[in-house]
Amino acid sequence: MGTKELNAVAIEVLWTRIISAVDEAAKVIVRTSFSTLSNEANDFACVLTDECGNSLAQNTGSIPSFIGTLPATVKHFLAKFGAEKMQPGDVFVTNDPWKGTGHLNDISLVKPIFRNGVLVAFAATTSHVPDIGGRIRSIEPREVFEEGFHIPLMRFISAGKPDDTLIELLRENVRTPDQTTGDVWAQVGAIDLIEKRILGMMREHDLTDLRGLAAELFSRSERAMREAIEALPDGIYRYEITTDGVESPLSFKLALTIEGGELELDYAGTSPQQPRAINCVYAYTFAMSIYALKCSLLPNLPNNEGILRAVKVRAPEGSVLNPVFPVAVGARAATGHYVPVLVFGALHQIIPDRVMAAPGSPLWILTLSGVRTDGKPYANVLFFNGGTGGRASGDGVSCLSWPSNISSTPVEVSEHNDPLFIHYKRLRANSGGAGEFRGGLGQDILLESTSATDIQAVFMTERTRIPAPGLGGGNPGGLGEVWINDKLVNNRVQHILKTGDRILMRTPGGGGYNSSATRTKAQNEIDRELGYVE
Amino acid sequence: MPDYSLGIDIGGTFTDIVIFDHESGRQYSRKILTTHQNPAEAVIEGAGDLLRRNSLSARDVRRVVHATTLFTNALIERKGATTGMITTEGFRDVLEIGRERKYDLYDIGIMNPTPLVPRNLRREVPERTRSDGSIMTQLDIAALEREIDFLAGADVRSVAVAFLHSYANPRHEDQAAEVILKRAPGMYVTRSHEVACEIREYDRMSTAVANAYVKPLAGKYIDEISHKLVDLGITTPLLLMLSNGGLTHAEEAKRVPVQMLESGPAAGALAAGHFGLADGENMLLAFDMGGTTAKLSVVENGEPLIAYTFEAARQRRFIEGSGLPIRISTVELIEIGAGGGSIARKDEIGLLKVGPESAGSEPGPVCYGRGGVAPTVTDANFDLGALNPATFAGGTVPIDVGAAKAALAELGNSLGLDDAKAASGIYDIVNENMAAAARVHIAERGRDPASYSLLCTGGGGPVHGYQVARKLGIKRLICPPDAGVASALGLIIAPIRADRAATIGFRLRDHDLALLERALVDLQEKATQMIRDAGIKSEVSIHRFADGRFVGQGFDLVVPLPPGPYDQSDGDVRAELKSAFEQSYREKFSRTPPDIAIEFINVRVSVRASVSGNTVTPVSGGKATKNRGASRPVFFPDAGKYLDARVFRRDELKMGTSYDGPALVEEDGSTLVVGPEASFKVVPSNNIVVTIF
Repeated sequence: MGTKELNAVAIEVLWTRIISAVDEAAKVIVRTSFSTLSNEANDFACVLTDECGNSLAQNTGSIPSFIGTLPATVKHFLAKFGAEKMQPGDVFVTNDPWKGTGHLNDISLVKPIFRNGVLVAFAATTSHVPDIGGRIRSIEPREVFEEGFHIPLMRFISAGKPDDTLIELLRENVRTPDQTTGDVWAQVGAIDLIEKRILGMMREHDLTDLRGLAAELFSRSERAMREAIEALPDGIYRYEITTDGVESPLSFKLALTIEGGELELDYAGTSPQQPRAINCVYAYTFAMSIYALKCSLLPNLPNNEGILRAVKVRAPEGSVLNPVFPVAVGARAATGHYVPVLVFGALHQIIPDRVMAAPGSPLWILTLSGVRTDGKPYANVLFFNGGTGGRASGDGVSCLSWPSNISSTPVEVSEHNDPLFIHYKRLRANSGGAGEFRGGLGQDILLESTSATDIQAVFMTERTRIPAPGLGGGNPGGLGEVWINDKLVNNRVQHILKTGDRILMRTPGGGGYNSSATRTKAQNEIDRELGYVE
Repeated sequence: MPDYSLGIDIGGTFTDIVIFDHESGRQYSRKILTTHQNPAEAVIEGAGDLLRRNSLSARDVRRVVHATTLFTNALIERKGATTGMITTEGFRDVLEIGRERKYDLYDIGIMNPTPLVPRNLRREVPERTRSDGSIMTQLDIAALEREIDFLAGADVRSVAVAFLHSYANPRHEDQAAEVILKRAPGMYVTRSHEVACEIREYDRMSTAVANAYVKPLAGKYIDEISHKLVDLGITTPLLLMLSNGGLTHAEEAKRVPVQMLESGPAAGALAAGHFGLADGENMLLAFDMGGTTAKLSVVENGEPLIAYTFEAARQRRFIEGSGLPIRISTVELIEIGAGGGSIARKDEIGLLKVGPESAGSEPGPVCYGRGGVAPTVTDANFDLGALNPATFAGGTVPIDVGAAKAALAELGNSLGLDDAKAASGIYDIVNENMAAAARVHIAERGRDPASYSLLCTGGGGPVHGYQVARKLGIKRLICPPDAGVASALGLIIAPIRADRAATIGFRLRDHDLALLERALVDLQEKATQMIRDAGIKSEVSIHRFADGRFVGQGFDLVVPLPPGPYDQSDGDVRAELKSAFEQSYREKFSRTPPDIAIEFINVRVSVRASVSGNTVTPVSGGKATKNRGASRPVFFPDAGKYLDARVFRRDELKMGTSYDGPALVEEDGSTLVVGPEASFKVVPSNNIVVTIF
């Protein structure tokens, strides 16, 4: 920093400016990307890091999957290429699941920012592209090679000159070449804007580098996190859950250790990686862990490197929470979404008021593909949400995406776009786990194929064997169920739908919080009167 | 012949009444406390008083235009009627399930807004229309009658009828409305397709239910005020301001009152456009800063930008997605938790934060001496010399600057700052917050803030405009006279307007153009009829729009279409429509559109007509500039120190006066701060224009 004093005002002003730069870049992505996951579900992130890859700011609405992943990606580029080899106008790219965000569908771009020839920061973005090739997303793949086009850590633009070979290879390997490459260019627009804004800010405030600001921000945020941790009693808090698994149930274990103002999450004892796509790479495990901690300890502080310093996350190599190449990882969410449940379960033992019981997630995804009457192939992805868990402040919320944040498609839009008829979409009575504070309800949706040709239905659905547990004596939420033509079916295999075949999706409810014996009579009456409980 | 316009704007705290004399250009205004029990009371008292005191004849009032937040507040405070809903069997929970998204990612205690109609009053009947509008299952009249009896028995006074795909075929909703009125005479009925004739069931139901919820209240109020105005001797029919800046007649406002939710801000944005145009300014960022919030809206070529979605009654005021979705056309504006009352505090990592919490007007800033203890933006502004305790609010509010300084010193100490640094820090941070919000908002449109001029209104706009502009790279500020009644002026210059929309799912490549033309003409006729019903005979202008998208994409973009009619035999029409969409696409997305089939999901029509004689030329200001040589020290963050600023009274500034900053221009409602790197000039429109070097 120049000569100006970095006090409580200057830091706030500069930080607000940096956050607005990444938020502005986020609007560029929303505005210019094709992927509905980016422009409607905020399935992307924009980050500014210091010259070492430590995060200074992340865009405000970015979903939890990306906490800490992009700064780690920047560090991988630094390690591979070295700061001295980077030059103005370079843009680096990768979708390596292990060095990126956990699956091939997210492409990350990183641009070094130079001021007066000196590297001062990195602008980075990651975005879920409409298609990356490979198989239609399911849990079926055994190896990452089946899951699409793999871009190693490399230059996308070298001193202003794009790599045409890479672009051509990418176009050739995906189903939607215009949209996928269009979205990569949208990201370039976003990081260019971050660069422009940051350099403008540095000129305006006469800053030669961002080191002083970064040091202040990180040390203050770290202190806040340490203070939050110090307020908790030292000890080791354990929690474990069992989940559906594929062939047999999976076991997830967490030991949460608090000692001397530091917090460690260790997932030792968790099941080994699986020969299916449900493996969750460490970067995603880390993001979900920090997300849960932030919800409980520091919900209002914007994401930055400082809050990560007092926290360690360990997951045994070769486990389902830290699988090794080349295992398949495309359905990482089906596993990673269980991580916050473990963290809350452990924290519940010491701060029961600042956690919630398990939600009826992971997110449910139904992919329908087939051939239209005009002979054109299509694939349509539908999302379904269950209820969230009860918490000290009240009942869980019915049908709310958690920990991800993805809307379901409106019934009318589905019927307008796809050969589908939807008979009903309603709250699922009795699906909220009973408790002093009941779990949120799941939903029942009955879909019917109106397609003259066959439709393949692929499910990514969890909690159909083992429900969302309650906390503090609360009951588990209702199990999810998938029915076809009035029969419960195996949701782990593909099904073929003929005209008139009906799928009933019954999403899981959230777990209850505290024993239902302590629920007030008035609340029970309301539940009965409104039919949440029958 | 005397020719007056009467503008009425009922806000949460104050009711503003303004009478404009078109002959002389004079303006009479009155601010009076809103009478919540019976809002018409304050209006009639205020208007009657203005007429009497200025010896104006009620007969010469040729137009009355009304804006109000009454219905918005009824939604926020949940003070509407007991409301029921009738919907398609299997879908009553859509209203409660909503979008299934979190508006706050990190809040463990997150709550959705409680639906306006509880589950037991949402009733289902067998019926089904398909997405193409064909009827699959006939409406079950007997079942409907049973449900109506149930609702009537539960003291429901207003019912929303919302069936699936009613945008494609309204027959069942119309049929149900007839049955309801027959079965339960006196029941208020809202059909979802008449308030939001658009695909997406949750949004349409939410809009219909909100309309039903405020409809009895709106009907009662509008009838009452209409009668009382007649009693006062004002016989011209009442016109009401819509959220999109147009006007409508009383019957239409009673039928669809949700169209009025943002009528107050719409008037403000219109006025902003008017002031900007007076100075030939086509690209305006209207910046209105009050006691609790700052509002920003983009006005291009005199027209506020329009959005087609809105949220009412948010769980958290400044968080998008936390409210009830309302599909109406409305002036696009963002609201930021930054006002004079915004509270400064130390945050969890020891940084200075300002807002969004506000001390409001009660207890208010520390310097008001009404029990406020937390330092606010206004306290900082007094400490920095930007505001004058002697002239603040026309000298009606006693100001205790000492108390403000003490509170600032205490906060400064906790942050390791001296009290001057605390005050300048608050000023700097609140400005940065507003600039940040403006940048992100403008980025959504793919534009650069530096290409706009900043139009400053409200008590705080002129105080903060200079620094906000500097942060945005904006070079020009416009400060209209008497900003306090600026928004009422918007009422008077507004055109009468009717907007209608319909979902058609028209594929540009191969669908019959006659379908598109018929849909648009149908909307034009409905909209024009509304304008004729209001007794307006002047020529109408018709604007056509479509919500276009590439087939298969989730988003759509509202694009202006070329004027009709579209003739099937004209081979160029399809090409023109395609290029209209592609042009808007390029503007919005800054890139070449892909070669994918285009679909117009919805079509929209906006029909407008000017209300005769509603031109406004305000009289120019002071006769002479008495440069009294007064000055006081003011802190300027760009200089990093106190500078001696020359002080002017606005009503004493002569047209053409110009002066280099640092300077202050005081008027009762506000103070314009001109920094050291700028000059100001009073221009012929009577605006003050500040040019930043």
